[in-house]
Amino acid sequence: MTTLWDTTGSAVVKELAAQRRTGGAVLSGVALTLVVVADEARVVEAEEAATAAAEQHPCRILVVVRRQIDAPLPRLDAEVSIGGRLGPGEAVVMRMYGRLALHAESVVLPLLAADAPVVTWWHSDPPSQLTTDALAVIADRRITDSTVAADQLTALRTRAHDYAPGDTDLAWTRATGWRATLTSALDSVSGRRGDAVRVLGGRIEGDPGAATAQLLAGWVESRAGARLEVVQAARHTGPSGVDSVVLELDQDEEVRVHADRRGGAVISQPYRPDATVALPDRTFGDLLGEELRRLDPDEPYAEALEVTTGVSGLVDRAPLRAHVWVDPAQPDGPGSPVDTGSVEENSPHGEAPTVPPTSEGTDEVALSGEHDTPDPTAPESASAPEPAAEPGAVR
Amino acid sequence: MIPNPLRDPRDRRLPRVPEPCALVVFGITGDLARKKLLPAVYDLANRGLLPTNFALLGFARRDWGNQDFAELARDAARNAARTPWREEVWERLAGNVRFVQGSFDDDNAFDQLAATLDELEGSHGIGGNAAFYLSIPPAMFPVVLKQMQRTRMAESTPDRWRRVVVEKPFGTDLASSRELNELVDSVFSAEDVFRIDHYLGKETVQNLMALRFANELFEPVWNGHHVDSVQITMAEDVGIGGRAGFYEKTGAARDVLQNHLLQLLALTAMEEPVEFSADEIRTEKLKVLRAVSLPEDLRTFAVRGQYEQGWLAGQRARGYRQEEGVEDTSTTETYAAVRLGVETRRWAGVPFYLRTGKRLPRRVTEIALVFKRAPHLPFADTDTEELGNNQLVVRVQPDEGVTLKFGSKVPGSVMEVRDVSMDFLYGEQFTETSPEAYERLLLDVLLGDATLFPRNAEVEASWAVIDPLEEFWSGSTPEPYRAGEWGPRAADDMLAAEGRRWRRP
Repeated sequence: MTTLWDTTGSAVVKELAAQRRTGGAVLSGVALTLVVVADEARVVEAEEAATAAAEQHPCRILVVVRRQIDAPLPRLDAEVSIGGRLGPGEAVVMRMYGRLALHAESVVLPLLAADAPVVTWWHSDPPSQLTTDALAVIADRRITDSTVAADQLTALRTRAHDYAPGDTDLAWTRATGWRATLTSALDSVSGRRGDAVRVLGGRIEGDPGAATAQLLAGWVESRAGARLEVVQAARHTGPSGVDSVVLELDQDEEVRVHADRRGGAVISQPYRPDATVALPDRTFGDLLGEELRRLDPDEPYAEALEVTTGVSGLVDRAPLRAHVWVDPAQPDGPGSPVDTGSVEENSPHGEAPTVPPTSEGTDEVALSGEHDTPDPTAPESASAPEPAAEPGAVR
Repeated sequence: MIPNPLRDPRDRRLPRVPEPCALVVFGITGDLARKKLLPAVYDLANRGLLPTNFALLGFARRDWGNQDFAELARDAARNAARTPWREEVWERLAGNVRFVQGSFDDDNAFDQLAATLDELEGSHGIGGNAAFYLSIPPAMFPVVLKQMQRTRMAESTPDRWRRVVVEKPFGTDLASSRELNELVDSVFSAEDVFRIDHYLGKETVQNLMALRFANELFEPVWNGHHVDSVQITMAEDVGIGGRAGFYEKTGAARDVLQNHLLQLLALTAMEEPVEFSADEIRTEKLKVLRAVSLPEDLRTFAVRGQYEQGWLAGQRARGYRQEEGVEDTSTTETYAAVRLGVETRRWAGVPFYLRTGKRLPRRVTEIALVFKRAPHLPFADTDTEELGNNQLVVRVQPDEGVTLKFGSKVPGSVMEVRDVSMDFLYGEQFTETSPEAYERLLLDVLLGDATLFPRNAEVEASWAVIDPLEEFWSGSTPEPYRAGEWGPRAADDMLAAEGRRWRRP
């Protein structure tokens, strides 16, 4: 592991190549690049999750932490490791200060694994319009998490308005266990009857404000055409916000799946004794691992999201996105498509690019740090000041 | 399967889960059941791949209660499980575990088994579906199958399925395998019989079909125009362990060549199935197996060997004849190598060299396609001295993956070409938690997916290849080889006779 202070993107690329050469027989195959956008406060959690996911899907991990956009000097600190604390593969953790944070892609692009899919995961508040973050534009799959938003349902609606094929949300991933259990419960009823089952209605007991509970209801409606109400459960629910699901079937029958809060769920169905199946709360790493398994557009998610939010036409949207430049320092600047003031009001995610607007948690280096004296023998020193000059000059 | 409104073919997050069913294991106290089956059942449960209503029934002679059995099953599962141990998962599973005690010729015991199944049908909602796993010596098959017939446990009806799982060896020669097939098929219908060859459950073996039929790159050279020869190796570093009784009667050819190696050959040499379905794949495999030819000169091209004492991995290893339970004069082979041909347009003239052995330097299974030399080399002779044949190697185990060996220029001011290899390691690109072979195959049995199981016609076609070899070898003494070397000298001579040599795996 090497830490590069106040460095440049090309130095990071070089360091990665150097470590790969000297590392010997380390993992060299890479199926995809995972870009993680994390807040400083949640970077440890994000790293753990990415490491766990990388054990299932060997990938290059690029963690981007954007800090203090108003730091006087743009600056990049990077930690490069291969087969180290961040799993078996290659990993780079980058902290970006100043205007560089708005141009994170300039560092990330040369670090992407050649011709392999790119997945971007926001373990932070994602922009309400993903196109305003260039790290979303370069990604084949974009993972957000509405569950962490203060207002989960508004967050879901924001995601639906902004949806493009290839988007997915960990709130949906959290529903997979429930969906599998409900499906196999219906299998077992139809297996007993020897005939197909129809779902006529039902309810979800849990937290009506939970994105996962709403998506689960939306999914059942999108598949079976039956509306499920999400009602407040008496008990406190886990991160999924689902405590139990009741499906009303034809022939006056009913199936009930109930979380036992011990990593399992009890399935109650007519003419059969209760059965318990595994339904554990899952870690971020596990959720992320599931997301990385398939990288094609998730149509069932799009349909569930449509029903849940009432926003239509999601599946037919174009999968490609173009970058939209938004500068948080210039609220009404030219080219800004979003009024950042109003975004703040109706978006749970805050304003567009996820760079802290103030210097909260400022450290001294970021404020008054200076670039190292360029080493005349280092070939990259010529390009070192470039990120500093470029943002201001071009934009 | 009955349509389920919640299922969506595009929804690939939802796992394939079998219908409610029971798994009945005969010989549950045996080695295989403890080391492979029970852990596989636990792993499936832990992954959420078992149906909501599932029951596990053990049948064995030991006088046990459900509690004792649950205890044994728990220890077995815990010792060998591949997924993390979660007590609550096991507790849930243990609630659905039953044990029936009895010997195989005991009518009462089988009546009780049938009664227990009926009872579980109601109490555990297994819907009458059951898979019977015969983890018992083939000699016991007739008794057990007769019993199942008598108690009508084996009958599939439109309302329920009943399946049987049979382990290799599937007979000892063509006649006995026919007899066995007829016996099994008389009790179960042919599509309900699942013959387990655990090699076919390995990811790499399935990947062979993806490699060949999902890509444009390989299939054009996958024929006798470009391929010089094919080498299929399955080497083990272990000896026979405590299995002398079984091995003395079997030998390497019957134990490995007849099933694993010929199945690997079939998958390597088969034409493209018109559809990726059980029937189509088995049809293509069967065509290849029927096209397999033996060399006329068996003396040169069929070699068998037996290990003598030697050193292996830094330890002294006993010779085969010194193993416990083996006669001093035993002529059972522990090594077999043979040159086969595949008489089709694609493979005419391409030798398939198959070899298997025990006490070889390392445990490895691989399929190597050795390509012809380039027809013309524009370099000076001295430039390409170190260049060998291009090779495409499918590594089945360990280090599952694919290696491509080709010539490359040695850096420097002189033109010099040397062999290099390009490695694709399966575990690097995909999940390391890919299911174990037994887990995968057991799930397929419960789902009724027969893609990875050989059909009885394939088994019979394989025996038709092995029988003449056994006949030729009978009465002869195997060539000796030292434990820890790559087989007897005669096997090297076999390839040298045609100007080739074995690849060191």
